[in-house]
Amino acid sequence: MKTLFTRVATVVGLAGLTSLVQAEMLDVEKDELKFGFIKLTDCAPIVIAKEKGFFEEEGLQVEVIAQPNWKQLLDNVINGELDGAHMLSGQPIAATIGFGTKAHIVTSYTLDLNGNGITVSNDIWKQMQENDPALDTDAPAHPITADSLKPIVEEAKDAGKLLPMGMVFPVSTHNYEIRYWLAAAGIHPGMYTSTDIKGFTGGDIELSTTPPPQMPSTLESGKNVAYCVGEPWNQQAVAKGIGVPVTTNYDIWKNNPEKVFGVTKKWADENPNTHIAVTKALIRAGKWLDATDADGNLVNREEACRILSQKNYVGADYDVLKNSMTGFFYFQKSDKRAMPDFNVFFKYQSTYPWYSDGIWFLTQMRRWGQITEPKPAEWYHETAKEVYLPEVYLAAAKHLLEEGHIEKGDIPWDTDGYKPATDEFIDGIAYDGRDPIGYLNSHEIGNKDFLQAAAE
Amino acid sequence: MAEKTADAIKYKILKFLDVTGFTVFDPMVRLAFGEDPKKQVESILKFFVTPILFILACTWLWWTVAPNHKTKSGEVPTPDVVWQSAVINNTFSEREKAKESDFLLVGEEREQALAEVEARIEAQSEILTELNAKLKEQEEAYTAQLDERISPLQAELDVIKGENKISADERKASIEAIAKEVETGETGSEFLIAAIREDGEAKDLGRDAESIVKDQIEAIRSEKFKPLEVARLDVNAVADDIQFLKKRVDFLSDANRSVKVVVAKEKLEETKANLAGAESSKKAVLEAKKVVRGEESIERLEGQQYASAMTVYLQIQRSLFTVFVGFFMAAFIAIPVGVLCGLNRIAMACLTPIISVFKPVSPVVWLLIFQIIVGAFFPDPESHPFFLFFNSLPLIGGLGINPALVFSACTVAMCAVWPALVNTALGVSSIDKDHINVARVLKLGFWDRLTKIIIPSALPLVFAGLRISLGVGWMVLIAAEALSSSDGLGKFVWDEYQNGSSFSFANILYACFVVGIIGFLLDRMMIVLQRFVSFDGGGTSL
Amino acid sequence: MAFLEIDNASIGFGPHDNRYEVLTDINLSVVENEFIAVVGFSGAGKSTLISLLAGLLKPDKGEIRIHGEVVKEPSPRLGIMFQNYSLLPWLTVFENVALAVQQVFPKYTKSELKEHVEKYVAMVKLSPALGKKPSELSGGMRQRASLARTLAMQPEILLLDEPLSALDALTRAEIQDEIINIWENDKRTIVMITNDVDEAVLMADQIVPLTMGPSATLDEPFPVNLERPRNRTTLNTNPEFRRLRNDISKYMVTLNEETKALSSHQSVADLPEIMPLDFTSLPAGPARGRRRPAVSQAFNPKVTFFK
Repeated sequence: MKTLFTRVATVVGLAGLTSLVQAEMLDVEKDELKFGFIKLTDCAPIVIAKEKGFFEEEGLQVEVIAQPNWKQLLDNVINGELDGAHMLSGQPIAATIGFGTKAHIVTSYTLDLNGNGITVSNDIWKQMQENDPALDTDAPAHPITADSLKPIVEEAKDAGKLLPMGMVFPVSTHNYEIRYWLAAAGIHPGMYTSTDIKGFTGGDIELSTTPPPQMPSTLESGKNVAYCVGEPWNQQAVAKGIGVPVTTNYDIWKNNPEKVFGVTKKWADENPNTHIAVTKALIRAGKWLDATDADGNLVNREEACRILSQKNYVGADYDVLKNSMTGFFYFQKSDKRAMPDFNVFFKYQSTYPWYSDGIWFLTQMRRWGQITEPKPAEWYHETAKEVYLPEVYLAAAKHLLEEGHIEKGDIPWDTDGYKPATDEFIDGIAYDGRDPIGYLNSHEIGNKDFLQAAAE
Repeated sequence: MAEKTADAIKYKILKFLDVTGFTVFDPMVRLAFGEDPKKQVESILKFFVTPILFILACTWLWWTVAPNHKTKSGEVPTPDVVWQSAVINNTFSEREKAKESDFLLVGEEREQALAEVEARIEAQSEILTELNAKLKEQEEAYTAQLDERISPLQAELDVIKGENKISADERKASIEAIAKEVETGETGSEFLIAAIREDGEAKDLGRDAESIVKDQIEAIRSEKFKPLEVARLDVNAVADDIQFLKKRVDFLSDANRSVKVVVAKEKLEETKANLAGAESSKKAVLEAKKVVRGEESIERLEGQQYASAMTVYLQIQRSLFTVFVGFFMAAFIAIPVGVLCGLNRIAMACLTPIISVFKPVSPVVWLLIFQIIVGAFFPDPESHPFFLFFNSLPLIGGLGINPALVFSACTVAMCAVWPALVNTALGVSSIDKDHINVARVLKLGFWDRLTKIIIPSALPLVFAGLRISLGVGWMVLIAAEALSSSDGLGKFVWDEYQNGSSFSFANILYACFVVGIIGFLLDRMMIVLQRFVSFDGGGTSL
Repeated sequence: MAFLEIDNASIGFGPHDNRYEVLTDINLSVVENEFIAVVGFSGAGKSTLISLLAGLLKPDKGEIRIHGEVVKEPSPRLGIMFQNYSLLPWLTVFENVALAVQQVFPKYTKSELKEHVEKYVAMVKLSPALGKKPSELSGGMRQRASLARTLAMQPEILLLDEPLSALDALTRAEIQDEIINIWENDKRTIVMITNDVDEAVLMADQIVPLTMGPSATLDEPFPVNLERPRNRTTLNTNPEFRRLRNDISKYMVTLNEETKALSSHQSVADLPEIMPLDFTSLPAGPARGRRRPAVSQAFNPKVTFFK
C-alpha cells in the first residue's frame, strides 16, 4: 500500500509543477495523437472523449482510426503508427509475456465491464430446448448454462464431428468466457499446447478465431454453431433472426473486465504527462457515459449511440446499438430484458486498472495452456504489475478531483490493486487475485499447477 | 469559308473523340454538323440508344431480382438504395466540410452562424418530438398487430404443448406399467423395447407439431413492419441532424479556433499579471515558465487545423495518390529492366526465372511481406524524416502519408511491375530490323541508339504494358487497402463491411461503382497517352 | 583505278552441316561516279549483296574495298537507301533527315543543320511535307524522304536497294527521273539493285546480272552505251535500247531455266512460278510490279505510260 503511494507521488512529481496548481493543463509531450479502435460498442470511451471534447480540453488533438482486426491493431500500436488503442484485456498481458506478438504493452485504464454475449444458432437453440424443456418459453430463466448443450456436443462427437464455435481472438476475453461457460458444464473446449497454437487439443468442440463482423454470417452458413462476441454482433443476430443469445458474460462472471486502453511501455515512458492527460479524458468520458438521473436511468447513452452509429466510428444502425447500450438486451425477439449493467463504463470503480483483473487473465492463459509452463504465484503478481499502471490512473484522477470533474468516491484511492474475492461466476467458484494458483487448481477442466501449490 | 471553318471544327472534335476513345459520340457530332442525318440517326440508334436500353434493362432486372434475393445477414440492395447511400456519403462529407469551416470561422460571422445553427436545432428538436411521438404510435401499432396475430397461434401452441404433455405422461405411465410386468415376467422385454420406441416416435411427432406453429410465430415476428421502419428512419435522420448541429455549435463556440486563442490569450495576460506581482523568486520562476508555455500554446492553437474524418472523397483522393505512387514505382523499375532484358539475352535469361516465379504471386502475400520490409525501414514513423518531409509538402501533405500508404503502394508496384516489364522487353526485342540497320548505317552510339531508336520504337508497347499495369495496380490497391487498413477506397469497403449497418451492402455496392468508374477513367487516360506515343495509329480497344 | 571493288567475296548462313551459301566469289569493280545496276531475281541474294557493300554484313571470305580501303563496318560514306524506306515512324521528315545529318556533320549549328536538311528535302521535292510523319506520306513520298536522308549524308557511294520496287508505275517513273537528275547534277558512284530490266537500262552505265542462288554470283556486266540524257519516250523506239533489253531478259530467262533444271531435285531454290513470266513481259513494256501473275498480260504487254 505504502509503496503504491510513493509511486504515485513520483509520477505526480514527473508531471511537473503544474500538478500542484488547480485546473491547469498538463504539459503534454505530444499533442497530436492517433488512437485505434475496433468497431465494437465498447470503444465508446475513446470516441466520446474525442467527440465530447474531453481530449481537446487536455490540449490533445486526437484522431480515432478504425482497425481491421485485433492483430493489426496491436501491430500498429507496436510499430508506432498508433499512439494507443482500444484493446482486449488479454492483449497487453499476452504481448508482454510474449504469447503471440511480443512487446511490452501497458494500460492505465479499463474501458468497460461486461458487454459480451454467447449466441447459438437457431438449430442448436431448438435442440437445447428439447434437452431442457424449461428453456422452451418466450423468456427462459437466466443464467443459462451449457448443460443443455452438452448432449448435443456429445452426440456430434460420437458421430465423429466436433461442433465448430467462434471467438474473436486467442487472447480475447471472449475466448476465455466461452471456454469458461463450456467447461463449467463439463464440455472440454480444447487446450493450447506448444505444438497446437489453435487450441484444439483434447476438445469436445472446435473453437476458432472469427472476426466479429463475420460472426452472424458464419452462424447462418453453419461455419459456426455458436460464438462469443461483443456488441453489436449478438443483437444483430437477433435482429436478423440468425441466432439466439443464450447468455451474456455478465452471467458468466458478474462485472468482469472487458477492454483496456493500451499503449507501449516505451510510449508511456516517453510521454508520461500525455499519458496522464489521456487517462484524464478517458475517465471523464467513462463518467459521462455512466451518468444517471435521479431515477438511475442512464441519461447520455442515447447520444452516445448516435455518435457511435456514425460510419467513421462503429457505424452499425442506431437502433441495434441502442439495445444493449441503453441497458436492454434482446435474448430473442420476444425476450427483451433490462440489463442496466450490460455495459459498465464507470460504475463500481471499474475504470481502475486492477492487478487482480490482469491476474485472472493470466490464470486463464495458464488454464488453457497458452502459458505452457507452470509459473509461481509471484510471477502472476509481477506480470500484472508490469502491465497495469494504477499510478498513472491515480495521478489523472487526482487532477480530476482537484478540477472538480469527479467525486472522491468514484476512485478507489487506497486500494492495493486487488478486488475483493468474488464467487459471482456461473459455476460459483471463488476467485481471489491474491491466490492465482489456488484458483487455477479449483477448476475441473484445464491445467492445474499442484507442484507450485504444494511448494507454497 | 464559313463552311470550311465549320468542317475544321467538326474534324477537330471528331479527332478529339477518336483520341479519347469516345467514338460513340461521333455520329452525334456529325449530326450536329448536318452530315448525312439519316446515317447518323441510324448509328445513334444502333450504337448509342441500344446500349442505353440494354443498361436500363439490366438495371430493371437488378431492381426486380434484388429484393427477392436475400439472406438473413442482409439483402441485395436495389438501385435506389445504392443511390441513397451515395447521397448519405455525400451528406457525411458535406457535414465534415461544414464542421471544418465552422472551426475556422471568426468574429461576427461565427456568432451569426452560431445563432443560425441554434435556431435550427430548436426547429429540428420540435420536429423530432413529433416524429418520436409518431414512432411511439407505430411501435404500439406494431406490438398490437403482432399480439393480435400471434396470440391465437400462441394459444394453439399452448394447446399442442398441453396435449403433448398429457400424452407423454400417459406413455410414461404405460411404459412404467410394462416395465413392472417385465420385471415380474408377465410379458417379454420386447414389449418394453417397442413401447420405448413408440414413445420416442410420438415425442418426435409432438415436437414437429409444436415447431410448425413456432415457425409460424417466428415468421410473423421476422416480418418487417414498413410504417415502423419508415418512422424509425425519419427519427434517425432528424436525430442525426441534431447531433451534427450540436457538434457545429461546439465548433462555433468553445471548440472554435479563434475562441480557443482568445481564451488562451486571456489566460496568458492573467499569468503575466501574476508574474509582475510575484512575491517570491520561486513563484516568479513558476509564472515565467507558465508564460512561456502559454505563448507556445497560443502559437500552436493559431496554426491548428480541423482533423477531418475520412470521407469517401478523401478516400478516393488517397487511393488515387497511392495507386500513382505505386504505378510510378513500377514504371521506374519496369522500363529500365525491360529495356535491359530486351537488349541483352543474358539479362533476359537471368531475369526470366525471377519474373516467372514472382509474377503469379497474390497481392495479399506481397502486402504482408512489404508490411515487414517497410516497417523495418521506419522504426518510428511519426518522427521519421521521410514522412515528416512528405507530410510537410503542400497538396499531398494533407493525405497523411504513413507506412501503410508506403507498403500499399509497394504492393501495387510489385503487382503492376510485370505487365510493363514484359511488354517493354517485348517492345525492345521486337524492334524493326530496318531501324537497327538505320542505326548501324548512321553509326549511332549506344546512348543515341537507345534514346533515338530503341525507346521510341518500343514506346507503343511500353505504354500498352503500362496501361495494363495501371489497371492491375488499381485492382490490387483496393484489396491492399482493405487488408492493411490504409485509408482509401479499400478501407472504405472494409469499414462498411465491419459496420454491419442496414446500409452496409448498399455502401459496398456504391463503392463498387466508384471503383469501377475510376478504373475506367484511368484506363481511358492511359489509352489517350498510348495514342499520343503510337506512331502507327494503333487502335484503341476496350 | 577502281573506286569500289568487291574481291572474291562469299557469304553464307547456317551451321557447317546445313550451310546455305548465298553469294559465292563475287567480283565487281566500279569506277568513280559510275552508275551500276545489279539485276537479279528475288531471293537471289541481292539484299545480301547490298548489305555486304554497306558493311552491314561481313563476307566469309574475300573483301570489299573503297579506294583500296577495306570496308569493315557501316559508315556514312556508304549511303544506303533501303527497300522499304526505313524511315523512323516517330520522327517527321525533317527529323528523320536531321538525325542522319547530325551524325555525319556533328559540328553543324542549328541553322546550318536546318539549311542542310531543307536543301536536300527540296532536292527531292518534298519541302511541303517537311513536318509530316512517315505514316502521313504516300509510298513515293516516303521513298523521296528516304532518298533525301541518304543524299543529305553526302556519301561517297550510294547504295540503292530496290528503291522503287514497292511503288506504282507512275511514281516509279517519276522517282527514276529524280534519281537520274540528282545523279547528273551531283555526280556520285551509285550501286542500284533492281529486278526491273527497263529501269536498269534506263538508268545505269553498266548492268550486272546476279545469277540464281544458292551460291549466286555476278556475271559479266552489260555495258549500256546509250546517250545521256536518256529520254524515256524516245528510248522505247531506240534499237540499242530494245536490243539491250532483249539480251538481258533472255539471259535472265535462261538463268532461271537452268536453275529450274538444277533445282528440280532440290528443295532450296523453290522459286515462285510466276517469276519468269515477269521477265518475259519485260521486252515489251515496263513491269508495273514485281509479281505480275496474269499470263495474258505478260505476253500481250501494253505500253502504259511512255509512248
